[in-house]
Amino acid sequence: MNTHRGRQSTGRISRGIIVGFLGLLCSFSLPAWASDTIVVGSKNFMESRLLAEMFAQLIEARTKLTVTRRLGLAGTQVCFEALKTGGIDLYPEYTGTGLVTILGEAPMNEPTAVLNRVRTQFLEKWNIWWIAPLGFDNSYALALRRDRAQALGLRTISDLSRIAPTLKAGFGYEFIKRPDGLPGLQQQYGLQFKEVVGMQQTLKYQATANGDVDLLDVYTTDGRLSVYDFLVLEDDRHFFPPYDATALVRGETLERHPELASVLSLLTNALTPERMRSWNLLVQEQGQPVTLVAREMLQDLHLLTDSQPLPTSSQHRDSQSLFVYMWNMRATLALRTVEHLGLAGLGLLLGIALAIPLGLILERWRKGAETMIRIIGMSQTIPSIALLAFMIPLFGVGTFPAIMALWIYSLFPILRNTYSGLRDAAPNVVETGRALGMTEWQILRSVRLPLAAPTIMAGIRTSAIWTLGTATLAAFIGAGGLGVPIVAGLQLADVNLILSGALPATILALAVDALLAWVEHGIKPRGLEPVR
Amino acid sequence: MTPLALETHQVSKQFPDGTYALQNIEWSVQDGETMALIGESGSGKTTLLRLLNRLVEPTAGAVFIQGNPACSQDPIQLRRRLGYVPQDGGLFPHWTIRQNVCLVPQLLGWTLKQQLEQVNTLLSLVNLDPAQIAERYPIELSGGERQRVAVARALAADPPIVLLDEPFGALDPLTRYDLQDQFLSLKTRLQKTMVLVTHDISEAFRLSDRITILKEGHIHQVGTPPELLHAPATPYVDLLIQHYHAHRG
Repeated sequence: MNTHRGRQSTGRISRGIIVGFLGLLCSFSLPAWASDTIVVGSKNFMESRLLAEMFAQLIEARTKLTVTRRLGLAGTQVCFEALKTGGIDLYPEYTGTGLVTILGEAPMNEPTAVLNRVRTQFLEKWNIWWIAPLGFDNSYALALRRDRAQALGLRTISDLSRIAPTLKAGFGYEFIKRPDGLPGLQQQYGLQFKEVVGMQQTLKYQATANGDVDLLDVYTTDGRLSVYDFLVLEDDRHFFPPYDATALVRGETLERHPELASVLSLLTNALTPERMRSWNLLVQEQGQPVTLVAREMLQDLHLLTDSQPLPTSSQHRDSQSLFVYMWNMRATLALRTVEHLGLAGLGLLLGIALAIPLGLILERWRKGAETMIRIIGMSQTIPSIALLAFMIPLFGVGTFPAIMALWIYSLFPILRNTYSGLRDAAPNVVETGRALGMTEWQILRSVRLPLAAPTIMAGIRTSAIWTLGTATLAAFIGAGGLGVPIVAGLQLADVNLILSGALPATILALAVDALLAWVEHGIKPRGLEPVR
Repeated sequence: MTPLALETHQVSKQFPDGTYALQNIEWSVQDGETMALIGESGSGKTTLLRLLNRLVEPTAGAVFIQGNPACSQDPIQLRRRLGYVPQDGGLFPHWTIRQNVCLVPQLLGWTLKQQLEQVNTLLSLVNLDPAQIAERYPIELSGGERQRVAVARALAADPPIVLLDEPFGALDPLTRYDLQDQFLSLKTRLQKTMVLVTHDISEAFRLSDRITILKEGHIHQVGTPPELLHAPATPYVDLLIQHYHAHRG
């Protein structure tokens, strides 16, 4: 959730299987976006959303282009793949992330050197442009409670290395793995902690404040640093590379719309770390809508002609009960619910359309059946978020790749139940039908299928529930649905926001399950149960 | 002389592992005769029955149905001319009794009117009340009733030959005795060629005109009940007869 420089670690093998499988199914890629529409993406943390929203509003105010927002994509991998493949036209990125995570190079300390390096490399490799930096560096840092730091006499990370073996650290999952995170830090400073716990962004702050863990990793522009009384340890050996923020834009988009470069350049050196921290704070801790804060930022910078009306009225979230909150959000939630049903429903329908005929074929061709079912079954072992991420190089971001992923997810239960339902349908009855002169086709149509129908329907029910659940993750690749408030709520630690997505999603799953149970009952042939 | 209803010529059925279910079977059934196939499980009696309607294909030899080689006939068409009653009735659980009985007439494309008339005739024939039973499902019937429906279904398209695979094997003794009585009266009325697989020697003696005794894929003797009683051909047949006497007390 908290990763601002994402990572995907699923093995090459499963990726190969999926790519190969999809290659069989579809060999086309996402069509190009309408040329007068710019798609702005962001990662799934607040600062990225805020910057993206700021870019979007600036473009809307200063050009004639239409902007589509795909905010909250799951991390660097997803954003960058989407950018490369044209699913999005631009998103906010950090130079250090470009260097270390995307290019896979060793960290460097000099900001200008890093910027020059990523600029030349990105241009050469992918025709992707780094706009001039916005003026602030959102780096990693280590922090701990000020009173603890003073009691322990800590000021720098070098000081820390002496007593690290007595401390318990709460670090982000990504920080623990990144070369410019904990592994590099351990090498550079010789740090060995007593214990390292992987934690979500919001929780780290609370856990450190409560003393559950001794220290945490922070982003230097995190607004929470001005709320919690934490001391940021000085990186005295200059280990962390600079993370200057700016827009990363596709070269093709810039050629088509050269005005974009000049508009985005208006933000060059316009932001400072202090201002960024206070704006982040407005969103993170005070629950201000991103659209509103982005607008205030642009007005502060005198970049908006202030004729536009305010997007939404600001309401403090804590003052509302869940149901009042959901009632106020009803239009959005209804839309999200429709999106959610659309994603899951289409994925499921496609799954039914493929899995049932495939089950019929396998029942006739039993030699290959178990192998085939096992291969399809492997698609279930791929974590859903990884499966979604694999769709991006093939289909870009948005609804289409999400439906493709949900389709793959829905196949297995339907296929397995169709196959075994047909195979195991009352063998003595099937044999009698054959002995009395029914053809295999007549047996299939009149005996096997009706008798297997309840089993097949049970498979469809299982798939429906899985698909509805997995569809909440589609928000990570910009497909909308009820995952959008859940993902945003997790970043904001806003329980109402999380529940406003999770509650309808749960109700939806229960309702669909009940509906399908009713269908299953209806589809069950009469005569299979005693009449009461 | 009337042609033989059923005939096998040097028929063998060998499994892929080399063992034989049946070996060099020379065997025939007269037209209108009821022939029992008796033997232990594994004797090959069910395999012999299934060779007749081509549910099993011989690995050697030939099967003749009413004088024509079975292998030259379309198995689907052949099976529709051979009635079949399995041990457990084999009724389609999701079909009504009427639908079950009409299975073969419907496959043969009879009109609905013909089918309905036939249901009434046949259910009456097996002593079931069509008005009571035609629209019910198999699960609502007793085991004996279900087996009678299975017999009605086998006779539905008036086949010249009926194959019965232990038709009364799964019933309780009283019901079995009752159904055997009805079978005997049907047999006299219908004059059909019937092949009856059973492991119960007293049933074979009671219902059939001739009996074929099989053991381990070979025929030990074919004969009428008196022939078997007075001149058992092998020690195994003799043993069976003694068992039959002992059983009757």
